[in-house]
Amino acid sequence: MDYSHEPHGMFFMIDNKSFYASVESVERGLNPLKSVIVVMSEADNTGSGLVLAASPMAKKLFGISNVSRQYEVPRDPRILVVPPRMNLYIQKNLAINKIFREYVADADLFPYSIDESILDMTKSWRLFGRTPEEVARKIQLRIRHELGLYTTVGIGENPVQAKLALDLQAKHDRELIGRLTYETVPQYIWPITQLTKVWSIGHRTAAHLQRLGIHSMGELAHVNPYELQQTMGLMGVQLFALAWGIDRSHFTQVRPPKEKSWSNSQVLPRDYRVQSEIELVLREIGLQTTARMRHHQQQTSCISLYVGFAWDGQADDGRSGLHHSRRIDPTDNAQTIIRELVTLFREIWDGQPVRNLGVGLSRLSPSGRLQLDLFQDPQRQIKDDKFDRVIDELRDRFGKTAVIPASSLLKGGTMLRRAALVGGHNGGNSFD
Amino acid sequence: MGGIALIDETKEAELILRRLQPLFTAQWHCQYRLDVVNNQYGHVFNFFLDIQRKNHRERSIPLHSLRTTDLAVLERVLNQVRQGTALTLHFVDFGRVRWPLSQRWIR
Repeated sequence: MDYSHEPHGMFFMIDNKSFYASVESVERGLNPLKSVIVVMSEADNTGSGLVLAASPMAKKLFGISNVSRQYEVPRDPRILVVPPRMNLYIQKNLAINKIFREYVADADLFPYSIDESILDMTKSWRLFGRTPEEVARKIQLRIRHELGLYTTVGIGENPVQAKLALDLQAKHDRELIGRLTYETVPQYIWPITQLTKVWSIGHRTAAHLQRLGIHSMGELAHVNPYELQQTMGLMGVQLFALAWGIDRSHFTQVRPPKEKSWSNSQVLPRDYRVQSEIELVLREIGLQTTARMRHHQQQTSCISLYVGFAWDGQADDGRSGLHHSRRIDPTDNAQTIIRELVTLFREIWDGQPVRNLGVGLSRLSPSGRLQLDLFQDPQRQIKDDKFDRVIDELRDRFGKTAVIPASSLLKGGTMLRRAALVGGHNGGNSFD
Repeated sequence: MGGIALIDETKEAELILRRLQPLFTAQWHCQYRLDVVNNQYGHVFNFFLDIQRKNHRERSIPLHSLRTTDLAVLERVLNQVRQGTALTLHFVDFGRVRWPLSQRWIR
């Protein structure tokens, strides 16, 4: 293989070891690698409780994994259970990225998730050490000294190599550093037979590859890429490139998605069977999504509705949920959008118990001027429009719960309890 | 450094006690403890309620963070907290230091 035309950069992919659990350990004066700590969310919709993160020791001693259920965690007094504080983790993530900015230009830092960032060190790594490993060690120690957290670093000549080095090598390395180059990909990646361990390969893709007689990364690297494309499409070419550690993406030319949309969804705290209760939550989600859209001075001309059934609801016809979209006249008026959503819901819902609700608004266009409807009272329309804007302003200034529909106080409403959550989990004490 | 932002010690103590109150349910066979952590990384003192029940997992619930590194402030806040609860205090990561006001060892 001739790699000379491939991009040869220096990329670091850095992630935090058991991020939430580590932050909670440090806050309690415990060592993140030695503590046996489990971050458990007890938000309404997690059932009896959901493990958001477990410290390395909790994973090792008790086999607890993230997204374990509360009842799967043994009742052992050695395990320390703590509630999540999402706002604190966001703060720590910002602090970590601030440190990264001392090693790369702002334009070369790409936060990937709440605990992972990609650093394009191509231009700057030589300023900080003789080898990439030495630089990685320096960054690790900085974060350990300033925040008490342990980080894992994957190093590669392109982003995908860095990600593979992180997932497959660094996490098992004593120094928590892994490195891949074009030359070492065959040595480290090809022997892998458990394909789902490799980034971007899920269960279905792995099963598909198995059916094609591909059982290791090495075999994947030696198929005919054109044949693979025939059977798997574009994905096939990407997988082939992955097996060779090739990645031609340029982060600075990231293309924005063609069509933006706004959506919100939630898992309900229990199965909802009563129509009025489901519609109440639907209204709340509709309100929330519309408010987000309006914040960006946009209006929608397509609404979509997702209704996910409870476990026992899907047995009848095998479907696990309904997904429908409908074109409407461009609007950013909450009442109009909610009315359309409720109508759509009544048309498609057949009495199944519901556990999941989602709303999407797409086909966006800039709002700002009000298109009056010829067949309705113009004064009324202007008033409705102003009303929405006043509510938005009140919420901006005094918080999300400053004004709420009285219906949210009815049985089944979730808005008030969710207002304090961040990403669906406890944000932490508000006046820390 | 602490002391830049003005800290209303009475309010801080009240906040801690107010958050403690619904959590401290005084069950049988249950040990309750107030953890006070000197968090050098955040330059704050953290307060947690620790609950240990027989044959159960230990639980630790955050109550408050005192944004200072000034031990005298912490000492005064704690004096007020002690008037509202008789829970055992457990100090973490303070090293061998004396309280600035009472001159007793921190433990």
